[in-house]
Amino acid sequence: MFKGICLILLALALSLPSVAARADEFTEADLKKWQEDFMVVVKEGEKLFHSALGSNAVSCDMCHPNGANNHPETYPKFQKQIGKVVALRDMINWCLKNPLKGTEMAADDPKMVAMEAYITWERRGVPLAPGKH
Amino acid sequence: MNVPPSLILVLFLLFCPQALHAADPLLGLPPVPIPADNPQTPEKIALGQRLFEDKRFSADGTVSCATCHDREKAFGDALPVSEGVGKQKGTRNAPTVINAVFYKVQFWDGRRSSLEEQAKDPFVNPVEHGLKSHQPILDVIRGDADYPAAFGAVFGVEPASITIDHVVKAIASFERTVVSGNSPFDRYLYGGEKDAMSEAAIRGLAIFRDKGRCQSCHAIEQTDALFTNNQLHNLGVGFKRIEPRLMEIANSLRSAVTRGETIDEKVLTAPDISELGHYVVTFRPSDIGRFKTSGLRNIAVTGPYMHDGSLKTLEEVVELYNKGGEPNPMLDSGILPLDLTAEEKADLVAFLKALTSPEFAHLQTAK
Amino acid sequence: MSSEVSRRIFLQQLGAAAAVTALPLSLVEIAWGAGKGESFTFAYISDPHITQIKGTEFVDNFDKGLAKAVLEVNFMFPQPDFVVFGGDLAQLGKPEELDHGMEMLSKLTLPVRYVIGEHDYYLDLGKYWEEKISKLNYSFDHKGVHFVVLNSILTDDDWTHKRWPTAAERMQQMARLDNPDGSPFMVKEAQRNWLKADLAKIDKKTPIVVMSHSPLYKIYKGWNFWTDDAEEVQALLQPFQQVTVLHGHVHQILYNQIGNITFHAMMSTAWPWPYPHSFAGKPSMVPKLTVPMNRADPFHERDATGWSAIDLASGKVTNRLELWENTPRTVAEDEKTGLPADSQYQDPAKRIPPQDHY
Repeated sequence: MFKGICLILLALALSLPSVAARADEFTEADLKKWQEDFMVVVKEGEKLFHSALGSNAVSCDMCHPNGANNHPETYPKFQKQIGKVVALRDMINWCLKNPLKGTEMAADDPKMVAMEAYITWERRGVPLAPGKH
Repeated sequence: MNVPPSLILVLFLLFCPQALHAADPLLGLPPVPIPADNPQTPEKIALGQRLFEDKRFSADGTVSCATCHDREKAFGDALPVSEGVGKQKGTRNAPTVINAVFYKVQFWDGRRSSLEEQAKDPFVNPVEHGLKSHQPILDVIRGDADYPAAFGAVFGVEPASITIDHVVKAIASFERTVVSGNSPFDRYLYGGEKDAMSEAAIRGLAIFRDKGRCQSCHAIEQTDALFTNNQLHNLGVGFKRIEPRLMEIANSLRSAVTRGETIDEKVLTAPDISELGHYVVTFRPSDIGRFKTSGLRNIAVTGPYMHDGSLKTLEEVVELYNKGGEPNPMLDSGILPLDLTAEEKADLVAFLKALTSPEFAHLQTAK
Repeated sequence: MSSEVSRRIFLQQLGAAAAVTALPLSLVEIAWGAGKGESFTFAYISDPHITQIKGTEFVDNFDKGLAKAVLEVNFMFPQPDFVVFGGDLAQLGKPEELDHGMEMLSKLTLPVRYVIGEHDYYLDLGKYWEEKISKLNYSFDHKGVHFVVLNSILTDDDWTHKRWPTAAERMQQMARLDNPDGSPFMVKEAQRNWLKADLAKIDKKTPIVVMSHSPLYKIYKGWNFWTDDAEEVQALLQPFQQVTVLHGHVHQILYNQIGNITFHAMMSTAWPWPYPHSFAGKPSMVPKLTVPMNRADPFHERDATGWSAIDLASGKVTNRLELWENTPRTVAEDEKTGLPADSQYQDPAKRIPPQDHY
């Protein structure tokens, strides 16, 4: 009886697919999916970046084509417009409020995350240079 | 146990940082810049102060530097525009000497680049000290009982070799000691005293940095604050009067300078030319109506305000910025309407009143 | 200081070309070849991008930029001979935007020559511009210099006529600088033939100034800092002894020398573009000669914008860039190298940190 149960368990174990694998073992398919999910957010960010987010028809790409001249690799850094060391999202919010005459976004607003995703994606491969101007 | 006193002091300062800051009149200021060719000495500073307060260096013996830069008026004169010999009025509000050492250019229009150079001009301006040249100053100094010895000790010069450059070096040295930090704002932001400013002033600081757009010009930085970006901007104050005749006024300046008249005299005696601002230095159209960004420390005790002293109260100043300055084609492109609520304006004023250093606080309460 | 100021005023009163007018007349004549030239100045206003929000409401910042340039040009002392408008008067080519911009330009007290930009063109393919403002390409002579205006922002017929459902959509697509669906600018064959015929009448010693909206050389295709048939146009210009191309579009300080041809970019009155090499990982051909403009502070809405005063002496261009929130810059021929150079910052050791874009 006991031996029979063992055999059944063994058979079950052998027949189980990899979903029973350990928690942090992910597959090529996972990687692909996650990258695709990320790119969906990057695309959303690109759209926001090229649209009038404030109240005056001005958009981010007018001064930052391809997100250029944002230098996400330099944050946190001292921003003289704000008077202290801040994160990239603080400067995004500053630009929303000032040149674009709009309202700021919460740090966890999906739109803010999308903007950060687009800006950093366009700057991929550049070494970190925190604080640099 | 035998604890060395220095260790006790270190421990005391570690656990009671407020005590350290209370003792530091420079809290919130960067190091004072001292030019290599004019090092500070106690003797030179003392000589400078005496020269600063000497009324004999004027046409009728009534005006010294301290007339318009009076310590008991926070080194200003509390007048809209200053009065020189014979109660003659100039065109500009006397800027305080406090922290003037930190400016990269001097005078409202930035026409001088150092305290030394700045100090030479008022002596020979007809509406200030009213002298025809610097010579009478040197004559008074050489004939004085104490000055020759003092100049000898400070500069190593014989009386006959004393020049106006020695005089202004001593005056500038004195001015470099007129520095003040350690305001409630400094104790709050840099001293870690969370209750040094009122709730209203704390809200005002947030408005100052963000919605009020004050920060970019009246700079606060991570470890210190001068409240100036050391640049010049057009806010439109006084511009309306000259706008229709801009070309004519600029031409009159051109011909005056070609005739050999000095810029310094023209800006203090010709009200229209005065309004040209930094243009008198560069002759660039975009510098018309640009005036220096004043530091804001002790602003509550140095009114009236703006280059022409035309605003009496901080409330009026906040209102000027709230409406986006006085509209004109040369208006600085950072000056925009702010849309502040009544409460936000009041908070901003509360914050500005928290910038007064302890040594001038009695002037604020007297108001 | 007063002597410094008097000297400056003296120079201004003589005109910025004082150094040249002070030369013995014979020397000037030799330099001119034809012997009939004289120094003169003209102003250059470009890329105001007047943008309609709705109805009579326009983006205030861009309005103020153009108004300020107009006022300052009127204030120039001595007065320039004429003004060149360098293109992109409108943002989306709308009649409302062109009218509003023209109303502001009408305050200029001097004659104006117009160059069309892609933002003025791709809604109606230049129809309104031609009817109300100016021809799209033409030439004129002034004090011994032959000026040519080109419409350099044409592109493939397929892209222009077949790709987009509406004219407004076509304009929107062209207005996006970093558009992956964009199409490169061209002068195109018909206009090159016109240029060839126009230049055939001109002595090779006559100084030539060509004014186009896009740069007549290749910098970065991804943002259309580019003219696709630039080499063919350059080939028509190279036989002349003294050629300068002045262009807008790039909203930045940019200058170059290719063979006989000197190139100068004009500032925008609306906003600055970053340099293409600031876009990571994409190769661009920003001229090595160019000393970058300072990094802009967006707090001052008109930082890194402005207009130019162009001095022409002996057919050589001195570009005095009036930068509103920055120290003015001057780019002129370096006599030793014969190349355009920044009068203050060309030496790398003399540059200031805000010029270190990366």
